[in-house]
Amino acid sequence: MRAVQKTMNPMPLLLTAPLVLFMLAFYAVPVVSMLMRSVSDPTWTVANYAALPDDPVFLKVFWNTLVTSLIVTVGTLLMGYPVALALVRAPKWAPVILILILLPFWTSVLVRSYAWMVLLGRHGLINESLLAAGLLDRPLRILNTPLATQIAMTHILLPYMILPIANALRQIDPSLARAASGLGASPFATFRQVTLPLSMPGVAAGMLLVFVLALGFYITPAMVGGPREITLSMLISQQVDQLNWAYAATLSAVLLATALGLIAVCYRLPGIRSAFRMNAR
Amino acid sequence: MRKSSRRAALGLLGAGLAAPFIRPSFAQAAWPEQTSVPDILKGTGEVRIATFGGTMQETQTKAYFEPFEKATGIKVRAFPGSDPTKIKAMVETGNVEWDMAQLSRGSIMNLQKMGDYFEKIDYSLVDDGVGKEYRFEYGLEMLVWAQVLAYRTDAFKGAAPASWADFWDTRKFPGERAMYGTGSGGWPEMEFALMAAGVPPDQLYPLDVDKALASYGKIKKDVVKWWDTGAVPIQLLTDREVTMTTVWNGRMAALQAAGVPAQISWNQGLLKRDAWGIPKGAKNKANALKFVAYSTMAIPQARIALGIPYGSVNVESNKYIPPERQTVLPSSPDIKKNLVNYNYDWWIANREVVIPKFNKWLLS
Repeated sequence: MRAVQKTMNPMPLLLTAPLVLFMLAFYAVPVVSMLMRSVSDPTWTVANYAALPDDPVFLKVFWNTLVTSLIVTVGTLLMGYPVALALVRAPKWAPVILILILLPFWTSVLVRSYAWMVLLGRHGLINESLLAAGLLDRPLRILNTPLATQIAMTHILLPYMILPIANALRQIDPSLARAASGLGASPFATFRQVTLPLSMPGVAAGMLLVFVLALGFYITPAMVGGPREITLSMLISQQVDQLNWAYAATLSAVLLATALGLIAVCYRLPGIRSAFRMNAR
Repeated sequence: MRKSSRRAALGLLGAGLAAPFIRPSFAQAAWPEQTSVPDILKGTGEVRIATFGGTMQETQTKAYFEPFEKATGIKVRAFPGSDPTKIKAMVETGNVEWDMAQLSRGSIMNLQKMGDYFEKIDYSLVDDGVGKEYRFEYGLEMLVWAQVLAYRTDAFKGAAPASWADFWDTRKFPGERAMYGTGSGGWPEMEFALMAAGVPPDQLYPLDVDKALASYGKIKKDVVKWWDTGAVPIQLLTDREVTMTTVWNGRMAALQAAGVPAQISWNQGLLKRDAWGIPKGAKNKANALKFVAYSTMAIPQARIALGIPYGSVNVESNKYIPPERQTVLPSSPDIKKNLVNYNYDWWIANREVVIPKFNKWLLS
């Protein structure tokens, strides 16, 4: 590897050139020109940004978005870690588990959000079953509440948590666990003192992925969420439609900066880079 | 880009929800034919028209795209996905792909307020039957629809809500509500909130925004969804998520045809209109002006109203629409008299202040 880098092999550059050009033309240029609007519409100004700290709608929406993303990140972590562990520790079942994770992953977000509407509705599957079983007197309101958004987003984002954690777990040398139990550690102590700390890069990578993706969610909260639940991307879309493009661009810049800032901070965490490396072992 | 494709996806959801329903249209054999047109409307080449797609575009194709081609020799190319934000971008970049677009007076004048985005209409071509109230400098209204109260008939033991006061009365008419929000560039239904608070329909404008928000406050906890596309309230009624909602009248016919026990209450509804607008610099402007004139003639307007339950802007159209069809059209005299003419001009002048105020109220 190192020798290749020293001689400046042009091959990697050539191989990535089509993608780089594509991203420049269809991603970087539009993003930059859109962001320019936030400081140049109608004249050169930073007024759009200066107004944000006093903008109650923005503050509330931004806070909602961060809280929702955090809840979803914690939810996917709690539900995803055991699945990742099972995926790595039970090789016999791994293909089945992988299919269970990936099948919904390959289904469109729209379809899955709609499926949640069918499940969570006032007269949906869950309510009707609970009513039939006599566990409820009248249907619960789950659909069109923040809880529905959190459930649906957790489901949609679970694979992004499971796969990096499973990858990190797979990179742990099995002889370490054997050594720990050989030295008298109980299975739980082995997990807590050996496996869990060594899997942290995967956990951090999964949390980063899920949180950043959750920040930009639009369809799911719009479809299953509560009446007052507006996310930042919903507000951006609304402002584009209301033709307040400078304001929409300013909000987009905030969303982008938040995501990039998080990624920058997380990349400084020790070991997180290894979590994005496939089959490093 | 990503945002707009997601929005398109939401729109697709709407299409998906609407697809299983058959939109009831009047037997096509009974549609009147426009057999001749004034020579001044004839021409060559093409006209590219942006529409709202779906069943609407299918009906437009039969009602006046195809007959226009036959009568004038001008080819029509229809593009679903009309959107004022796209017109803004097209005109600003000088790449005007549409010669005309289905919009509203609101979105046309909204853009026109920010710059010069539309061509003027040539009223010397337009039919005399088109009412004065539908004409404006930069567009011509060509489709009449209504935003009205709709309810499940199985929800209130036979009682029928007939006003916004009833909509607000969750004791007499229990159950959740849905109302139109600001999600997709729309303007909230403050008129309804004011009528619920007792403001007479003929004294709504200029709207008393604070009074409207105070009135909204009384029903806020019962509104489970502030909808932004026409498919949403229909889905909410179908799934019994709400017992009462505001709807676009055309969507209800499809719902009823699907057997859902639901009704429109026309009283105190808002009479809204779609309009043709011609983007500044349209390549086939002359043809677009001809199409604007043709499509608002009595027979093409009657054909639309027979195909889809939206009304005509041409008074002469009523001659061609049978009485049983009139009962579902917002333009029919018996229904129109119960509706409030939506004041786009007030909203254009005030939306910049009102929308943030509404958003702030909603989130507080």
